[in-house]
This record gives sequence, C-alpha cells and structure tokens, in this order.
Amino acid sequence: MTMQTLADWIGEVRSVTIGATRADGGTRTGTVTVGGERDLSFVGTPPTGHRPLIAYEICDDRSLWPAPVNRFLGDRSSDPGEWARWAGQEYAPDLIRLFLTSTRKRGFSDPASVTSTVESVLQATGLPLIIEGSNDPALDSEVFRRIGEAGEGERLLIGTAEAGHYRSIAATAMAFGHLMIAQSPIDINLAKQLNILLREIGLSYDRIVIDPYTGALGYGFEYSYSVMERIRTSALKGDDDLTMPMICSAADSLTVKEVREADPSESDRISVSWELYAMLPAAIAGASIVCVRHPSTIAQLRAGIGALWSSPGGGA
Amino acid sequence: MALKALDIYKLLPKKNCKECGEPTCLTFAMKLASGKVKAEDCPHLDEKVRELLGASTRPPVQKVKIGVGERSFTVGGEIVLFRHEKAFFHEPGIMTVVSDKMDADTIQEIVADVRDHLMVRIGLDLRMNGIAVCSEGGSPSAFGKAVEAVEAVADLPEVLMAEDPAVQEAGLAVCGNFRPLIHAASHDQYREMCALAVKYGCPLAIRAPDLGSLARLSGLCAAGGASHLVLDLTSASLHEVLNSATAVRQHAISRTTPALGYPIFIDTRATGLPDAALICGVLKYGSVLVADAVPKESRKAFLVLRQNIYTDPQKPIQITPGIYRVGNPGPGAPIFLTVNFSLTYFTLQGYLEASGFDSLMLIVDTEGLSVLTAVAAGKLSETLVRDSLKQFGVPDLVSHKTLIIPGYAAPLSGRIEDETGWKVLVGPRDAADVAEFLEKEWT
Repeated sequence: MTMQTLADWIGEVRSVTIGATRADGGTRTGTVTVGGERDLSFVGTPPTGHRPLIAYEICDDRSLWPAPVNRFLGDRSSDPGEWARWAGQEYAPDLIRLFLTSTRKRGFSDPASVTSTVESVLQATGLPLIIEGSNDPALDSEVFRRIGEAGEGERLLIGTAEAGHYRSIAATAMAFGHLMIAQSPIDINLAKQLNILLREIGLSYDRIVIDPYTGALGYGFEYSYSVMERIRTSALKGDDDLTMPMICSAADSLTVKEVREADPSESDRISVSWELYAMLPAAIAGASIVCVRHPSTIAQLRAGIGALWSSPGGGA
Repeated sequence: MALKALDIYKLLPKKNCKECGEPTCLTFAMKLASGKVKAEDCPHLDEKVRELLGASTRPPVQKVKIGVGERSFTVGGEIVLFRHEKAFFHEPGIMTVVSDKMDADTIQEIVADVRDHLMVRIGLDLRMNGIAVCSEGGSPSAFGKAVEAVEAVADLPEVLMAEDPAVQEAGLAVCGNFRPLIHAASHDQYREMCALAVKYGCPLAIRAPDLGSLARLSGLCAAGGASHLVLDLTSASLHEVLNSATAVRQHAISRTTPALGYPIFIDTRATGLPDAALICGVLKYGSVLVADAVPKESRKAFLVLRQNIYTDPQKPIQITPGIYRVGNPGPGAPIFLTVNFSLTYFTLQGYLEASGFDSLMLIVDTEGLSVLTAVAAGKLSETLVRDSLKQFGVPDLVSHKTLIIPGYAAPLSGRIEDETGWKVLVGPRDAADVAEFLEKEWT
C-alpha cells in the first residue's frame, strides 16, 4: 500500500501565458505558461499544473541595484540589452524581468528612453519579458503607455500595480494586450480587494499575476511565506478572486545586513544562498514565478525546482 | 478524530472525586481535550476507556526528545499542516555527519565547529544542533571509536547511524545514556533494534520501503516497547521526500493513520542537493535533518529560514520601548521615532548602521504593531509620542528639538508638533532610503 496525500481541493490556479511568438503577433522565440495547479506546489505524482519558472532581474540604471550583484557583473550591467542577451545565453532563465529603475530617480526627464530601452531588450533576447515601470503618478501614464506601445503584440507582464497605483498599468494592459502584476502588502484580503478592483475597471482575471510582496529572508519573509500558502489554499478551495498565479522576488533579501556586510570574498556565495533560501521556499509556498538578481542563483534554483518537480513516471 | 470536551465527559465516572487534581470531571474533560492533562491522571477509568481517551487526546505528532542537557532538543508535538493555522512549535534539529572512516582529528574539528557556531538574531541564539555518527565499514570497534571521539569534544545530541544491531550497540555502549537517536530499525531487524531502544531508553528511527509498510513497522516497534519513534523518509528524490512528508503529516494531523503520528527524519545527503533538501525539510515537516557540514555561507541563511518558519505567526516579536543608540550619537544626532515591532526595529537599525550616521532611535510601544498598522489602528498617536519623549528623557539627550518620524506616520506630523512642541521631519517610508534622507535633510 502506498499512501496518498489527503487532498480534497476543488479549485485550480489559472493558467497564464506570457510572451508571444511570431505566430501570435510577437517576436519571442517561445512563450511560457504558469499556473494550472490543482494541489499544493510539487504535491502529486506527477505534480499538477506547470512547473514554477525563474525570472532573472535586470535594470536600466544600476545605481539602484544591489552592490554584490553590481560587483559580480562589472560592466555587463551598464547596457540592459547586452545584459539581457548575456544572461539569457549564459544562465538560461525562463524569463527576463526588466526594471526601468531610471524612472525611479529624482528628476527623471527622459521618457523617450523608456521606448528605446524596452525595444533594445526585446531585440537582444527572445525570452518572454516582465517590465517594471515607474512609481510616480506624474510619470506613470506616459511611462506605461510607452512600455505598452514598444512591446505591443509581445504579451508582456507589466508591473507593479498597487491599490492607489494601478490605473495607468491596467489601462496599458488593456489597450495593448499585456498582462499585469498586482501587488498588495502581505495581506490576503488586500490582494483579493485589488483583484476585484481591477476586474471592475474591466481587466479580466486571466491577465493578472499576484505579487504578495516578498519580505526579506530574516526580516518578514515568514509573513510572505504564509500569505502565499493562504492565497494558494484559498484558490484551491475555490475562491475565484485569488486564483491567479503568484510572482515573488528575492530583491529585498539582497539588502539585508548579513548580505550587505559580507566579506567581499564571500559576497557572491552569500548572495546566492540568501536568494536560494528565499526563492525555493517561495516556490514551495505557491509562487509560480520566482525572481533573482545574482545570475549564479539561477542554476541552483533550477536544480532545486527540478528535483522537487521530477517524479518517477511523471517526467520533469 | 480528536474528541471534544463533552464527548470525553460522557466517558468519565462523573464522581467529581478531585483525585486527579481537578475540581470537577468536567474541568478534567476540558483540560484533557486541550492536551493539558493525561487520561492516566484519572484513577477511576477502566482500561478500555483509558486507551480510547489516550489515543484520541495525545498530540497527533508525538513529541520526541533527543540528547540530554543544555543542547538536547525536542521535536514533534505539531498540530497543524500550515503555520498560519496556529504555529509550528518544535524546529527541526540539524545533525552534522561524521563518519567512522574519518580520523579522530577530523571528527573533533567538525564537532567543535557544531558546538561553537553561534548566530545571534533578534535576541535569540541560533545554533546547529548535533552530530550524526555514520558507520561506513560495518565495524563495531571503529563505530565505537568514532562515537568516543565525538563524546570527547562535546555533549551534543547524536544520531547513531548503524543498521547492524551489533555495530549500533558498540555506539550505544559509549553514549547510550545520553539519549542518542538510534538509526534505524527496518522490518528485518526491528526486534533487535527495539530491544536496544528499550535497554538504553533511546528514541528510535524506523525505515521501510513505503508509507504503508512504515506504518506497520511503527506499530510493531510500539508493541515492542519502543514508543519514541522517528520516521525516516529519506529518498534520492526530493519530490518523493516532499510528497511523503506531506502525506505523513496529513495522515497524522487528521488522525487517519495514528501509526504515522511521529516526527520525520530526512537524510539530506541522499538527494545530492544539500541546500534544497534542507529548505524542503525546514518547510515541509522535517524534524531531524542529517547533513554534511553546511558551508558557512549557507548556514546563516538556513538558520534564519528555520527561525522565520518556526516563529509564532500570531505573535509579533516585540522590542522593549526606549532609546536605542546606533554608533556614538552626540547631542546633535538625529533621532528617529519608530514602533516596537522588532522587524521594523531591526530593519531601521540595519539601514542606520549602514548609513554611517550616529543616531538615536526612540522606540515607542505600539504593542508590536508595524508602523502602517499602528497608524491605522490609532496605536501610534501624538499622545504616545509626547509621553514617550518624556518617559525616556529625550530632551536631556539631545540639544535640538527635531524628531524624524516614519514616512507612513506622515498624517500624524502636525498633531505631533502641536502636542510636543517639537519640529517633526517626515522620514522615508522605506528604511532603505534613510541614508539618502539623512544626507539631504541632516547636513
């Protein structure tokens, strides 16, 4: 007798496809699909739904990027297109997530650069893209319009909307056929509220990815972990307003004291450890897309996800 | 299924004799239902009822203690599948491997490292737990010597990993009085292993090819007198580890299969992915994790993840309100007001340290709520700020009257100025921005 897990779930996480190939009106070399789970992550032989994916985060102004990552990358991170091409080729993440950090700087006054940066990254890599725009009401409408236009047809995942900061993003997603990230501050009810708000302004649920907000490992990560487990189990219990796949980033885990103050000779390995110890748990808690900034984390995370996923007879 | 207090009450003698130490049978029933007393405490129960009550009121995952003394640890006693349903109570012990093929110096170096490694976080000591001694050659004397080498250096909890009862006993002869975990009984030799567990009063790990067979083995061992069991779910496939651990915990918590109601043992070496296996073990129900010496750089991440997951989610960790110093603040130093939620405190403290500015932190009592929640709930108010300034003698510490408040407390800035007569500067929302803020506003 082999014992099974005792699941009586009735719900299913929505499947969301990111990216579009030429056949679908885009230029990506492939698309990726997340979601579709009907049980807890990695549970079941084979596990249900799609395997969690890894996004590699890059930016267009590295002065706002974690120092250990900048040290490792050297000049590579000065040109986002070249950075995306290199990372895609050398480390093979499933997606690239581009942060337009230049728009977060005081006195940003070059909206045209948004178009050229997004275009250059689209040309440099065939991977599906996640694009993070501005966080300033004075800039949002132009920045997101430019992102939407530059990526028209590419089925981008655009972020990050919050309560009080979602209109420009939602408008872009609807006008140009993109998807969007909806973030709430580690609270299942606020996550649900924001989704309902987005539906009411006309965005369909299959265009939303939930960002539950990921606290840094050691500094609130456990709250994020539990809110993800709650969102996932709510979806599996059939709460339609929480059935979207989730995205999580290790970004904050790279700013903690233990990583920041690491001896330079250990800085890379410590950065990779902290990213791995935050993002593999995120995938186990239910995140469908986990994001890292140190490229060396990708292989370890992929091995961990692969080992949790693969099963005799189930394939990888 | 767990019985409710009233169901239990119906089975009691209802004599209110007080011999159990409780005033009435109903009180006893209520305490029994919540696991605070044992069925055996009632002297008037017949055998059958006692057995029934015992089985349905003991914790669904049995508690097992490993080792003796200061570094001993207890695992099990868990009652939920997800930490948000209540909490995970007893964090897994990590047991670092030494082998009887290693020379004594190597063993002692590893043991001393486990003994001495200490990480202090949020006022708590985070440590590695113990040593797993592995028999590789099948020689009783080599195994005994390896255990001796461990014992010579430290009183750490041990796992004795030797499947041959003769080899196992050679280890127990050395440290059997210190409650090591015996690893492992199988269907082939469980009688001998049970006898050793009984003889030395030690917990026993058991293993079998599948969960059904493991449940049968746990019944056989319990019947053989070894009742402190640990279930070995080691597999080369991490997928298999996660799935069988999830199944075991579900069967235990729901009391569907009480024979699986024991803590879980995972040898992380089998998967070839030490970090991933440790992560999986911490999150998904591992209680004893065997691992090769964890490299320094992932050790902290492991300890911190374990601390995070085993924190009580319903109890925010709090910091004692008062004045805290960063660096050597003089009378001209900036003073930051924030709440006594420890995460907020440690985050701000970390960024202030990194900023290079000597500064003061005024921590006010919001009962452990974060800034955002404390403002929304009215726990952070101008009167609290006024009283705290006075209570902690802040005017005597600095030569200025400027208070920096968290960005999320901006709505209170006017009222704080009116109530205290201090000038209020609204700081950043995100502690990560304090360095930039100080450069702009404080120089």
